[in-house]
Amino acid sequence: MNIECAHEADALCAALQSRWPDRVDQELRAHIESCPVCKDVVAIAAAIDHDRETTAAMAAIPDSGRVWWLAQMRARREDARAAVRPIATAQWIAFACAIGLLGACFGATSEWFQSALHWLAASVDMKAFLHPLWAIAAALLLFGVPTAVYFAMGKD
Amino acid sequence: MYRDMTFSDVSRAQAVNDASVFVMDEDVFRAFYDRNARGVWAYLSRVTGDRQQADDLLQEAFYRFLRAAAPHETEEHRRNSLYRIATNLAKDARRRQLLRAPFHSAADVERAASPDGSTEQSADVSTAMSRLKPRERAMLWLAYAEGATHRQIADALGLRPASLKPLLFRARRKLAALLGRAKEGK
Repeated sequence: MNIECAHEADALCAALQSRWPDRVDQELRAHIESCPVCKDVVAIAAAIDHDRETTAAMAAIPDSGRVWWLAQMRARREDARAAVRPIATAQWIAFACAIGLLGACFGATSEWFQSALHWLAASVDMKAFLHPLWAIAAALLLFGVPTAVYFAMGKD
Repeated sequence: MYRDMTFSDVSRAQAVNDASVFVMDEDVFRAFYDRNARGVWAYLSRVTGDRQQADDLLQEAFYRFLRAAAPHETEEHRRNSLYRIATNLAKDARRRQLLRAPFHSAADVERAASPDGSTEQSADVSTAMSRLKPRERAMLWLAYAEGATHRQIADALGLRPASLKPLLFRARRKLAALLGRAKEGK
């Protein structure tokens, strides 16, 4: 079965211009009536076009001025947010670096911390921590949890 | 002027003070909106099967169209671009619906979104359309309600122009059969 016909465009035109079936020339009418492709095109185009008019008439379209104004407001809000985003990120990184540095200074200078570290290394069997399960658990903590939080907090 | 402000305040003020946020000016946008909003709403309403969603997506489509700030040579290019955005939004909305209802099948979501589920009496075409796949609805609507060419439809739906003809043919046959059945049933 043919999936297209050379007269398809003419048939579509006749249907969309409401010329079908009364105001089309005899030749085209005879063709449409005998061609299954054009018959479908005419039937569907007329039905969908009518449906489009009915549906569009039901639409409660907001005023163009209001849409423009709301879009302007939203764009400015988003621009403002985007403009401060790198600064906020830099502030967070600086904060994390400062905390890390403070921790390192404390670790390097505190005798109490040093002795606790030595005691821990001596008392715990470090081989146990080399077990693959620990590695998997650590990977889950490092990657799985932030990913889960990201998907849970993300909008969609 | 900026002496007592932080970096954040300065950036924010600069972003807000930019006179033209969009490339398109207001008059051109309003004229374009007035010419196309109803058509896009009808398209979204038929593709999603949900008028409320069509209201939301319409505003989002025009916003994204403005935000994209793409240079368009003709009105036709603008319309194509707008319909492509609307199509993608409808697709995303459907995907979100499926995600929100993971224990329901895609067919359930389709049925819920279709006018069959509502109490109001729907016309033959809308009932028949609601039984088609969203892509088939979009394809038929663009072809027969908007009079789009095959290339424009393929562009809007993200399909290859060569694969459009058989898909459109199948969708048309399907709708013709559904409409025929609806007529016989009366």
